[in-house]
Amino acid sequence: MKEKSRKIGFTCAYTPLAVIEAAGFTPHRILPLSEVADQAGQLLHDNICPHVKRVLDRALSGDLPDLQGVVFMNSCDAMRRLADAWRTARPTDPVTILDLPIGADDRSVAYFQEEIEKLATWLGALDGERVTGDQIVSSVRKYNQAATALERAAKSAAVGGLRGGRRALQELFNRSVTSPLDDIPALVEQQLQNNEPKKDALVPVFVFGNVLPDPDAFEMLASCGVHVVLDDLCSGSRQITELDVSRAATAWGDLSRALLSRPACARSLPSLLPGEHARRILSMAQESGARGVIAHVMKFCDPYLVRMPAIRQTLRNADIPLLTLEGDCTQRSLGQQRTRIEAFVEMIGGSPS
Amino acid sequence: MMLEYFNNLISGIEAKQHLGKSSARSRFALELARLGRGLYSGDGTVAWCGILAPFDLLHAMGVTSCFVEFVGAMLASTGTVGPMMEQSEQLGYSTDGCSYHRAVYGAMAQGLMPEPDFLIGTSAVCSAGLASIENLACHYGKEMLTIHVPIDDSPAAVAHLADQFREMTHFVARQTGRPLDPVRLREVIGRTNRMRELTLEVYRLARQVPTPARRRDLVNFGIVSALFLGSPGGVEVVEAYCNEFAEKVAGEKPGLADERLRLLWVQNRIQFANPLEKLLEQEYGAAVVADELNDINWDPIDPEDPFTGMASRALSVSFCGPAEHRLQVLLRLARDYRVDGAINPCHWGCRQGTGARGLLERGLREAGVPTLNLEVDCVDPRSFSEGQLKTRLEAFMETLSRRKSSGLN
Repeated sequence: MKEKSRKIGFTCAYTPLAVIEAAGFTPHRILPLSEVADQAGQLLHDNICPHVKRVLDRALSGDLPDLQGVVFMNSCDAMRRLADAWRTARPTDPVTILDLPIGADDRSVAYFQEEIEKLATWLGALDGERVTGDQIVSSVRKYNQAATALERAAKSAAVGGLRGGRRALQELFNRSVTSPLDDIPALVEQQLQNNEPKKDALVPVFVFGNVLPDPDAFEMLASCGVHVVLDDLCSGSRQITELDVSRAATAWGDLSRALLSRPACARSLPSLLPGEHARRILSMAQESGARGVIAHVMKFCDPYLVRMPAIRQTLRNADIPLLTLEGDCTQRSLGQQRTRIEAFVEMIGGSPS
Repeated sequence: MMLEYFNNLISGIEAKQHLGKSSARSRFALELARLGRGLYSGDGTVAWCGILAPFDLLHAMGVTSCFVEFVGAMLASTGTVGPMMEQSEQLGYSTDGCSYHRAVYGAMAQGLMPEPDFLIGTSAVCSAGLASIENLACHYGKEMLTIHVPIDDSPAAVAHLADQFREMTHFVARQTGRPLDPVRLREVIGRTNRMRELTLEVYRLARQVPTPARRRDLVNFGIVSALFLGSPGGVEVVEAYCNEFAEKVAGEKPGLADERLRLLWVQNRIQFANPLEKLLEQEYGAAVVADELNDINWDPIDPEDPFTGMASRALSVSFCGPAEHRLQVLLRLARDYRVDGAINPCHWGCRQGTGARGLLERGLREAGVPTLNLEVDCVDPRSFSEGQLKTRLEAFMETLSRRKSSGLN
């Protein structure tokens, strides 16, 4: 057994973490949380996704743990550009990019399975362990345990039962992708043992969008009277989700299908049916019991920007209030919109705490 | 409104042709107008598609097809895009998005997009393009086929895309009630290959020093020609260019009388009327001789295995794959066309093309190709800063002129 502290960087929630873990590495999400200088625009463009820019800033500044390599996903234009820029910023880093189909149909599953197998080969070249189907199943089980624990924490936070509230939940989400997998259930348990009473003054809101890993952002939302009862964020509840690898196919094929069928970012269309994302957002908003919806959409994120008008109309048709916040995945940018958030909370029936 | 515009355009060009006043560019415009009429007439089967859809295959199946960005460009070139932009903004479409797609959204909301019979989205060249197709599918309640375009051109990737193109024919047949006719497909592929051969000759002639191409001759040529692939009209257009350029080269008639500087245009051209290219010519004798999008990097399509050939063709587009692939294409064009410098408009809102701005600039500079990055929205004229852009262009041209006179390039 090789040293498990060897880390492989990743940047997208679609990354096959179970394969990285099974190969004997610790997947480490390079979160866009850092105070390093802005310099990514030199290699890319200033009008590109702030998530990508911030991750690249970290790479350019050397603000990273020791990584054996970095795995990128072909999730969107910006992520492809990040993979390009990484090769220039850190030319000695082993880097790979996995192609990610749009749908979860049989052809896409078969294609993505090959991509996952290529990842295993690439990890092997980094002195990783040979990955077998059994190891994938075992690793997915561990991730599923982590997902269950995180879901418990999220449900607890939704009813005001988690010490530190949504901020603490976000810290757990962040640690779940930067710490060894085996540590996650214990971390969650520890947090759940310290319950605190529900804050009735806050207004239940469903938050969706892309990347918002800054715990301070949720603290700020709470200070505006927002109680996040459910989220659909790739740095939140969409990050580690339960995967079903118990189907009849091979473990590789099952993993491929499970990843492509997971709760989707706007870039994906698992059913291949147009409008799926808007319908899913509506359904989650209705099931959450929220009085309103906040869309946190990063500036320059095309998969969300282009679909926002349709999502807005879908929610409007269902009489669900929506506030759209464009940000840079930090509390700082959200803070500038405090007045709008407070006005929204007031409109949907609450007042700032 | 749009149908009337295209009908007028057609009759105007045809009237000039009868008077013997025809050029390759007017033949190109005529074909474009005929396509527009086909889209807006309400006759026949119409499909809105992503840029990498195989338009010759759709042509073989009797479908009038077009990529949606065509509408953005058309509205910009006719000076009518402003209200579409405003409409899309009112509907919650961020101004940070690509204006080709914002224009489409506004046009859709105003009922100015022809209603398609079905849609074919492609995951490349950009994320926003696929999302725009999805918006149209929802708006019109029509079926959409999504094609995943891989990120490399490995044999497995080509086979994956070829399989999807094959399946596309079944989807189209279901929509139209007309199965793919192998005889017709063979004819279409013959014309596609003929167009390829002629287009390579057009580009070879355009590379001459001085170039025979006039300022607007090859604007949008490569990308729009893809819409004509496999059609008789498409072959005629490229033949017209071939003949015109060959005559000009033989007769030593340059496109620009005093060509002193040769430029490579990166990405897409500015679609609305603007004075920049004229300024380059008149003040600096600078001709845009090469366009990134005017390039052919694919082999003839094998009629016995057409889907593989079409897949390879789609994956050969410089915007597919890593930025390094794109850079190598640009460096080849810079070398072949013997350019003195490159201009990248950095189309606002384009994460795919403009996103690699810094990487491309660095790669071109290291190869000795000075590059000017502008900040232009190529479709929305409302933010066009003529004065600033002129100042930057002038400074760049002076640098290029100095380099040239000192023999640096």
